[in-house]
Amino acid sequence: MTRPRAVRLEAFGAIVQLERPRALVFVDRDYARGLGHDGGALWSRPGDDGAIGARPLRAPLEAHLQLTNRCDAGCRGCYTAATPQGAAGEWGLEEWKRAVDALADAGVFHLALGGGESAVLPWLGDLARHARARGLIPNLTTSGLAGLDNLLSVVELFGQINVSIDGVGDAYAATRGFDGFERADRAVSRLRRAKKEIGINVVVTRHNFDRLDELFAYARKRRLNEVELLRFKPAGRGERVYSELRCSDEQHRDFLPTVLKLARRHRVRVRVDCSYTPMIAWHDPGTELLAKLAVYGCTGGDFLIGAKASGVMTACSFAAPPPGKPPVDAIGGYWERPEAFGAFRTWRDAAEPCRSCPYHELCRGGCRVVSAAAGDERAPDPECPRVLAHRAGQARRVSLPVLS
Amino acid sequence: MKRGRILAVKWGLNPNSSSLGVDVTFLLFGAAFVSLVTPMVGALLRFRRTPK
Repeated sequence: MTRPRAVRLEAFGAIVQLERPRALVFVDRDYARGLGHDGGALWSRPGDDGAIGARPLRAPLEAHLQLTNRCDAGCRGCYTAATPQGAAGEWGLEEWKRAVDALADAGVFHLALGGGESAVLPWLGDLARHARARGLIPNLTTSGLAGLDNLLSVVELFGQINVSIDGVGDAYAATRGFDGFERADRAVSRLRRAKKEIGINVVVTRHNFDRLDELFAYARKRRLNEVELLRFKPAGRGERVYSELRCSDEQHRDFLPTVLKLARRHRVRVRVDCSYTPMIAWHDPGTELLAKLAVYGCTGGDFLIGAKASGVMTACSFAAPPPGKPPVDAIGGYWERPEAFGAFRTWRDAAEPCRSCPYHELCRGGCRVVSAAAGDERAPDPECPRVLAHRAGQARRVSLPVLS
Repeated sequence: MKRGRILAVKWGLNPNSSSLGVDVTFLLFGAAFVSLVTPMVGALLRFRRTPK
């Protein structure tokens, strides 16, 4: 396999990719010079040196490609509203290879492949192989409910594979609306026998929040390398059941100490999605620490982009396509446009309490998709504990029960 | 020449096709641990220095 892209120069300096340990390292200009790189005209503005976020990156770090919207599972909260028929005008292998070429030319490091259920696609391995040949690392999420043999035959091509499991045993059905745990568990076991870098994705709802302990224990028992926790979003079929499944405000406030306690108890690494940054910031871990760990809120249309099964580019997988519906293989011509990705890039024009929040440079106002569902995609995330406290006229509660 | 700074490290690979996953496990150990790890990352970068 071709080695992954090593370095991408940025206005602030550079991003360097490490293979082992797997990391993207953001360095300032002097550091990049020390590694033998020179940004030339890109480094002409002194104020940009070391300032991640001062302007959008030159390209996303990762692209989230919904290779198909076909899926038989019928999860009641599916954010893509996937169906057994899929979406109209879905792209095939040749179109996605062209997209991978465009993303590679732009300087993207990683792909996150999903669906629908992408594991059933007979050309999944061809696409992953093509991504590798162009220096990108493909990663994948699967339900584990279909396409397992196909996936196992190409498992070595992927950097990380996660299986979506929202509960152990009967708790699975409480979120998804059907009992698929045994099949998903079988997939986890078989994938883990073939590969070390296997984890689970967990959509956190008010029904499984109190049972997260079982999921961490499960990950430990199956010797998985990570648990990734995802906030439930009001998108696709999820919009209809959002008020029923979204976590309560109290659960959001308890989120960080709860998951860190579980990570420590079960010795499992934990990843959280970008929409949880307001819930992390509530505990005031320090802006410098979050910046060092690259904990950012909404970086749609900047650190990441999405693409629908029809190839249309979006700021993130939950977002509606921008005007003109640019295809993802046209990223080179779209990225630098002043109006690109609309509200996703105008986060600096925030209302209070975001405007004066010390975490705003990192959090960027929380999840645009949750804000949009509440009526204004430019408004502060209405579920942010700081926003709720501000609206209630309360002082923020300082609580660092786990952090040392 | 100034040595420069490591600004941030984004750990791991994100398989989730719906959002930017970030590893927060290090929050368990706090800023001191990150300060210890950063020089080690720097050593790896310089050791594995790659051509332009």
